[in-house]
Amino acid sequence: MAATPPFLGYGLGLRSAYYSEILEQRPPVDWFEVVSENYLVGGGKALYFLDAIGEQYPLVMHGVSLSIGGPHPLDRDYLQQLKQLTERVNPAWVSDHLCWSRGNAHQLHDLLPLPYTEESLEHVASRVRQVQDVLQRPLVLENVSSYVRTADSTFTEWEFLTALTEATGCELLLDVNNVYVSAFNHGFEPWDFISALPLDRVRQLHLAGHSDYGNCLIDTHDQPVCDPVWQLYQRTLERFGPVTTLLERDDHFPPLAELLEELLKARTLAATVLGKESLCA
Amino acid sequence: MRLTEWQCQVEAYLLGAEAAPAADLLDSLRGGPTLNAEDGMLIYYNAYRSRFKEVLREDYAVLLAWLGEDEFEQLLDDYLHSTRSDHFSLRWLGARLPAFIEQSGDGALAELAKVEWAFTLAFDAPQGEPLTLQDMATLPAEAWPALRLGLLPSVQWLNCRHNSMALWRTIKNEQDVPASAPLDNPAVCLIWRLDLVTRFRLLEPSEAWALDGMVHQGWTFAQLCEELGAFVEAPPVQAATWLKQWISEGLLQREG
Repeated sequence: MAATPPFLGYGLGLRSAYYSEILEQRPPVDWFEVVSENYLVGGGKALYFLDAIGEQYPLVMHGVSLSIGGPHPLDRDYLQQLKQLTERVNPAWVSDHLCWSRGNAHQLHDLLPLPYTEESLEHVASRVRQVQDVLQRPLVLENVSSYVRTADSTFTEWEFLTALTEATGCELLLDVNNVYVSAFNHGFEPWDFISALPLDRVRQLHLAGHSDYGNCLIDTHDQPVCDPVWQLYQRTLERFGPVTTLLERDDHFPPLAELLEELLKARTLAATVLGKESLCA
Repeated sequence: MRLTEWQCQVEAYLLGAEAAPAADLLDSLRGGPTLNAEDGMLIYYNAYRSRFKEVLREDYAVLLAWLGEDEFEQLLDDYLHSTRSDHFSLRWLGARLPAFIEQSGDGALAELAKVEWAFTLAFDAPQGEPLTLQDMATLPAEAWPALRLGLLPSVQWLNCRHNSMALWRTIKNEQDVPASAPLDNPAVCLIWRLDLVTRFRLLEPSEAWALDGMVHQGWTFAQLCEELGAFVEAPPVQAATWLKQWISEGLLQREG
């Protein structure tokens, strides 16, 4: 396995809307997170900008198609492509989601929640080990936003994540917004989730915006981070110390300057909570 | 319920025609304080459809402009009912749309869809190893007769029977769009990528014939000259002219 990755500071998701601006202006972003699937292509613009931006910024690979809890055998072709991309990108780490996105027969292209049972734990743990064997590094898994829970779950989501890290050595990408969204939808206290996670397994944090439909919250990544999520982020930093943080935006892309301002808010909050050393990547 | 069995139920629901979950699937779920399990599943059900359509609206923006909102939406609904995604990337969802349209018998519309899909294929195809004029300048004279060439991976070869390229170009440029019409003579259109920019060009029949011979029939340069001998006075000159153009445009790589 690779050596422990560093604290990278405060980053943004790399999106095509900002490619040229990033290269021309070299914005004050410590690192970029790339959606792995966007670069599992033969050539062209995406790979050109990936290489060019990767020469100037640290990168992390974040996938959406691993389907680590899916019923179908792991996609070996996908894994090989992912491994080849790691060789090209040399990412600080590789993440995906604790979910399933491929059914027994077809792709479902969503981050579907799992039942949190012993059977699921065994199933997912075995697959995490297979992925780690191929990638030769710890996998980092993110908690997803969810809209249903299964009646037969015997673990909470945070107990399940903790057990999974213990069983496999995988690490966690704690999406603070996803915790907030799921907590609202399922009626639990978000802090119960975050405060129960092991201190030494959280590799990265995600911040994002969601949409409020009154009776439910939906994880849309199309607007700024809301105040309660900022508050939760502050408490998270108080508990975990400096953790590499990413601001996600996947739709309704604002000018880059607006995202930089929002990222500055994360830095400033971290400096307030943890002191100025937390700003250094 | 076993994990796999439950996941199969969810998959059947998400891909099915019925938006209301079956009773046994609902029994396996728990709702929250304000979001019940049925509405929770509906969020996933609707997300699958909107994600599917969003991708195709981007990949087939010209088709959307040509058909109009209502007719395009109906086409996507029909396609969504008949198609399942088997690739991990949403990028490939639209791959079967031209064939799907063709099955309905609308050859002109299918051709426009093929043109638009060809642009997406050219956009992110592997680079290959482009042959350069410098390569040709340093090619020993004795190597020329046996020279074999192939198309670079990004080059898409389309046999057009309709004025699809004119439709595509005018819609893209937001100009007055002509009526869809068959061409007087079928024409070859190439769509490819050079220096990260996608390009297209309709070939004259003689040029298309020559390029087809080189890249599809396996002609050597000597064979091209020989074939040309029946039509032109100085075959090597015409062959070299075409070769120089194809190489300058970034169409070719060396074969064999």
